[in-house]
Amino acid sequence: MSAYTEAVVIQVGIAILLALGYWITAATGKFSFGHAAFMAIGAYTASILTLKFEWSLELSMVVSGLTAAVAGAFIGWIALRLTILYLAIITFAFAEIVQILLDSWDYAGGASGLFGMRGTTIPLVAICIGLVIVYLFFLTRSRKGLSYEAIREDEQAARACGLGVTRISVEAFAVSAAITGVAGALSAHETLIITPAQFGAPQSLLIILFVVLGGVQYFWGAIVGAVVLTMLPIWFDFLEDYYQITYGLLFVVLMILRPQGIIGRSTERRFNLDSFKRLVPGRSGGGRDG
Amino acid sequence: MADLTLRALDITKQFLGVTALAEVTLEVERGSIHGVVGPNGAGKTTLLNVMSGFLPPTDGVVELDGRDITRLSPQKRVPLGVTRTFQNLRLFGGLTVRENVLLGQHSHARTGFLSLWPLRTAADKELDREADHALRIFGLTDYRKRRAATLPYGLQKQVEIARAVSAKPKLLLMDEPAAGMTAKERLDLVPRIRALRDEGITVVIVEHDMDVIATVCDVVTVLNFGRKLIEGTPADALASDQVRTAYLGT
Repeated sequence: MSAYTEAVVIQVGIAILLALGYWITAATGKFSFGHAAFMAIGAYTASILTLKFEWSLELSMVVSGLTAAVAGAFIGWIALRLTILYLAIITFAFAEIVQILLDSWDYAGGASGLFGMRGTTIPLVAICIGLVIVYLFFLTRSRKGLSYEAIREDEQAARACGLGVTRISVEAFAVSAAITGVAGALSAHETLIITPAQFGAPQSLLIILFVVLGGVQYFWGAIVGAVVLTMLPIWFDFLEDYYQITYGLLFVVLMILRPQGIIGRSTERRFNLDSFKRLVPGRSGGGRDG
Repeated sequence: MADLTLRALDITKQFLGVTALAEVTLEVERGSIHGVVGPNGAGKTTLLNVMSGFLPPTDGVVELDGRDITRLSPQKRVPLGVTRTFQNLRLFGGLTVRENVLLGQHSHARTGFLSLWPLRTAADKELDREADHALRIFGLTDYRKRRAATLPYGLQKQVEIARAVSAKPKLLLMDEPAAGMTAKERLDLVPRIRALRDEGITVVIVEHDMDVIATVCDVVTVLNFGRKLIEGTPADALASDQVRTAYLGT
């Protein structure tokens, strides 16, 4: 396999991990707008451990995942009890803060970041994806997975059924952050260099697009979205300057034709106007008429 | 002293200065079907929200079997045996009827990370059997694989009651169960609620429709403008001049 092909395969693999990680929180109906921050936390944790402490990449990845999970649980605990509008703002702001902190952290190279990490291989990425897929396979067939769907469908009804909505959402968010952190670690050890600038809003948006494009209904959708979105820039390389326009148009067309994503039932539109109604803050389900 | 399940004591609830409930006391006797009636805006649903934990009262105490549960969230009240239905149906519309019922069992089921392991314990299988039983008694077996939102309204109401009953409550709070039902569905509702009581569930029904209340309830509390007007048997309540005035305005 040529070095180029290997690089592309690893890129796609990391994109799949990011998409699957994001899918877990999307499954509870909670959309984060700052998942790049967890990628950054994972990437920096692993890079510091491998570069400065000479740990093995595998062990560093585990620690990356745990660190990102703790950060995810913390942010989730603050933000997930609020409406999804506040969740969007808080996760976005969190990602900006992480970037600023990394920028001014001299030990981690400040704005010029860290370099010299290596060790990401195709088997390593494949094993990570395999583990996550096995986890999701069992999750989506369990009562835990069902409780995620219930929260996405209707939080008030979920509370009435005795589901601890905040606890379950935070747990999903932390697991999501952990997988994203591991993907960040793998990414850092593939690209050789990391800078805070890589983990900005465009990266967060890209992760969201993987899942939205593929569809949130089944986790397979996230995989399809990740593969398509990673391969597009390569396939449409010949368009050069027109690439961004084509890319944008493609999204508009897709969202009109298949609002539920590439994978997903066409009779059910998960992304309809109703999902925007939930953006309005202060709407509690109890009601007081009667 | 009567055997009480739930006691809501001197409940006051204000919304931005508007008093929805003023020192309302509701004592629900174990094994009874207790109706709460009143014209629109009387505070019926607010009272139910306070009892189920969806709204904190401005003042007052809610007790379940003598234990103060005023500050407990709805999800913490469910394992203690308080469940509810909603006035405007709150189903998991995109999930199947059976999944809705399974979610009703949440507080009795294993839902931790270990539950991901596909081997099913005897307790898991027992819950499955109970879910299928609930589907059967509510006439939903044929619809178990249908998405809840695709069912006709009357059946959706049955799904919601089946889901609430699957939590094995001591106390079931029903918010306008007859609303939106056809005349026939209303007739079916009465024996169904009695059957729940016979299984040992205490039932509180908030209802606008006096016919249902008069047929099924043992005790009726009438609210008007957030105050308790009268409490007694349905016959007494209906005969009361105060109730006629509140309802008919004459």
